[in-house]
Amino acid sequence: MTTRLTRRATLALAAAFAAAPALAQDGWPSGPLHVYVGFPAGSSPDTLARIVTEPLAERLGQPVVIENKPGAGGVIGIQQMLANAGDGLTFGTTINGPLTTAQRTMDDTGYDVDADIVPVTLIATSPLVLVVNAESDITDLQSFIDAAGAEPEALAYGSVGQGSGAHLTAELFADEAGVTMLHVPFTSYAEVTTSIAGGEIDAGFMAPSAALPLVDGGQLRMLGITSAEPFAQVPDVPVMAGRAGLPEDFRAELWNGFVAPAGTDAAIVERLTTEINDILADPAVQEQLLAIGWVAAPGTPAEMEERIAADTEMWGGVLDRIEAAE
Amino acid sequence: MSTWDGLLTGFAFALQPGVLIYCLLGVTLGTFIGVLPGIGAMAAISLLLPITYYISAEAALIMLAGVYYGAQYGGAVSSILLRLPGTPQSAVTALDGYPLARQGRAGVALFTSMISSFAGSVIGIVVLVLLAGWLSRAAVAFGAADYAAMMVLGLVAASTIGSAHPAKGFAMIVFGMLLGCIGTDVNSGVQRFVMGRTEMLDGINLVALAMGLFGVAEVIGNVRDPDRQAVAGRIGLRAMAPERDDLKRMPLPVLRGSALGSFFGALPGTGSTLSSFLAYAVERRVARRPERFGQGAIEGVAGPEAANNSASITAFVPTLTLGIPGDPIMALMLGALVIHGVQPGPMMLETRPEMFWGLVASFGIGNLLLLILNLPLIGIWVSLLRIPFRWLYPAILIFVCLGVWSVRGLTFDIVMVAGIGLAGYLLALARFNPALLLLGFVLGPLIETNLRRALLISRGDPMVFLERPISAFFVVATAGLLVYSAIQAWRRRETPEPGGASADGP
Repeated sequence: MTTRLTRRATLALAAAFAAAPALAQDGWPSGPLHVYVGFPAGSSPDTLARIVTEPLAERLGQPVVIENKPGAGGVIGIQQMLANAGDGLTFGTTINGPLTTAQRTMDDTGYDVDADIVPVTLIATSPLVLVVNAESDITDLQSFIDAAGAEPEALAYGSVGQGSGAHLTAELFADEAGVTMLHVPFTSYAEVTTSIAGGEIDAGFMAPSAALPLVDGGQLRMLGITSAEPFAQVPDVPVMAGRAGLPEDFRAELWNGFVAPAGTDAAIVERLTTEINDILADPAVQEQLLAIGWVAAPGTPAEMEERIAADTEMWGGVLDRIEAAE
Repeated sequence: MSTWDGLLTGFAFALQPGVLIYCLLGVTLGTFIGVLPGIGAMAAISLLLPITYYISAEAALIMLAGVYYGAQYGGAVSSILLRLPGTPQSAVTALDGYPLARQGRAGVALFTSMISSFAGSVIGIVVLVLLAGWLSRAAVAFGAADYAAMMVLGLVAASTIGSAHPAKGFAMIVFGMLLGCIGTDVNSGVQRFVMGRTEMLDGINLVALAMGLFGVAEVIGNVRDPDRQAVAGRIGLRAMAPERDDLKRMPLPVLRGSALGSFFGALPGTGSTLSSFLAYAVERRVARRPERFGQGAIEGVAGPEAANNSASITAFVPTLTLGIPGDPIMALMLGALVIHGVQPGPMMLETRPEMFWGLVASFGIGNLLLLILNLPLIGIWVSLLRIPFRWLYPAILIFVCLGVWSVRGLTFDIVMVAGIGLAGYLLALARFNPALLLLGFVLGPLIETNLRRALLISRGDPMVFLERPISAFFVVATAGLLVYSAIQAWRRRETPEPGGASADGP
């Protein structure tokens, strides 16, 4: 054989010997799928992965095993997916952080998003709500911005860590509103909500489901939401964009997507995109996702790639400003 | 609904056969995973989560809660028999439980632990029912400054554990605090001492540290010196029945331990590990002959076990009354509720009274089941000591590896536990106390984070520690304790009495 092996020839060869089923759409999947999740069992990203992969297993006729590899804000999940890649049966679901900001906030993630990761589809997005103590004088977005603008760092806000979505969203908001706020990092929303309820800090951006128990209990108040449209889990909370001097396109969302390691056959990615989009079209699935604070956001690999690029740029800009201020 | 009506409703609910069976399942599973070193409630509850989708939210919560507090019973067993804490909370139980076992009194130690655990839980339940509102307000009122001041008091109070050589003890605490620095710093986001490993970003795993320091180190020590194995002693009801003297020593430590555990359990984030350490420290302080501690003092088992069990009950206070999970396991249980469409939090008492009171009632039922289950098991546990080393220790190492692996599923952590085990063995050879290292490791990062957070929020004003009443109380208490200790030490030096009898004075 003197000719180079073309992709087509490889495929033919593989099909002929049936030795590399990962490359052939026929017969895929030949065994159980392994989906890596960078968060512990029972966490919101884990539950989301299970909601989507349960019907996926039925459709593919093979079990889907969730591999929980928590740590480093989800980065370990991606690393472990890449370390175990190569069989065409290894995938991952991840929140936005490991694909957009981790390269900036960590010394070395050990992977290159563009080169090592193939987007399959977004699964869902989650907006954040701005929360203050219910007994505070601040009753709406305008009075919040007024209070925050009274002097530099007049208000202190909590986040779930340096470089977390809650931190960056608050800094993006402060920048757009033309104020500076004092950042107090915590490690969990539970600590942030307790601190706001106890009157120790003033505010915080958080997932609606983290705030709801204390909002229902009359201890916290939600002022606005960072999505483009009202969120069904908290329908009464007004959208922030276009209000109190914020730009019309103000939007900050966390998202969760399905990814594959680079080298995964395009036909497999296409099949997964189709199946997951079908699953997300099911109202029952949408309802399950909403119960844990996510709204279904199906789409194409190209759309997810654009989202990664756009968010990397947007959050990168916020990180630039934070570093410049230090 | 009055408390009384609520409890009646709760018991009526929790005693239904369809609910009771899940309670029994939960506590039984909890006991066994508690006994297995390293495999904790977290792993067990994660594994049970998928099952809960198919049963009612109430039954699911009752079962998961049973695993949570049941593990505290089991954790003491391996601590006492093998100096191998089944859970980090029971590490301190090994300090006196294991010496008891080596004296052939393993049955007595286990009996003490079970009774104290039960009594601690019952007191925790009473506190939960009567003081839930007050405790939840306290939990919200505690700010960063208050936590920092409280942890410092805890550190000072507990630093006398095993203080035959104060300098060695101090060294261990500092070493533990330094180990606690490893990982991403919460306040600045700076990655400290991670040596380029992503696996180190979240710091050293507490389970790996506890298992390595105690479990693996103990196994290495025994391989070198095969005659060290604790003797099984006689088995049977009479052998495990404590003597009158033992019984007399139990009630007060149990009461003090339960009080500490009930309070600290209810504060989100501090947890039962601290309360068991503090309970041990308090017992040692109030003892007439503190030198008995570490040699097999019944109080050193009763106090900590009562503390960590009452803490495992009141840990439900912030979860149930505020919807704020106090630790990652609670967060997991909250997640299970949310999947069932139940919004945990202050409204639960009104919207789902049968769930709230059913859970409270199940605490009582579950603990009674645990006692009934565990007392007959004592004989079986003690007979574990008859298993020859060559079978027992490889099995233990396998369980330790499984347990450490179950936390994050990373091989890295198994290598880590092996390294820590070796270090722990060297420390044990030099007669350093690993419990103090563990204490420094737990408290150090909490003190640092809260101290810096308090100063951040106060915009750098250190007076915040004296202006907040809770914090001021702890600062004054810490100062008082230091002065008291200094005076005691000075007096001892002034009037040296032969034979160490000076410590007998009240």
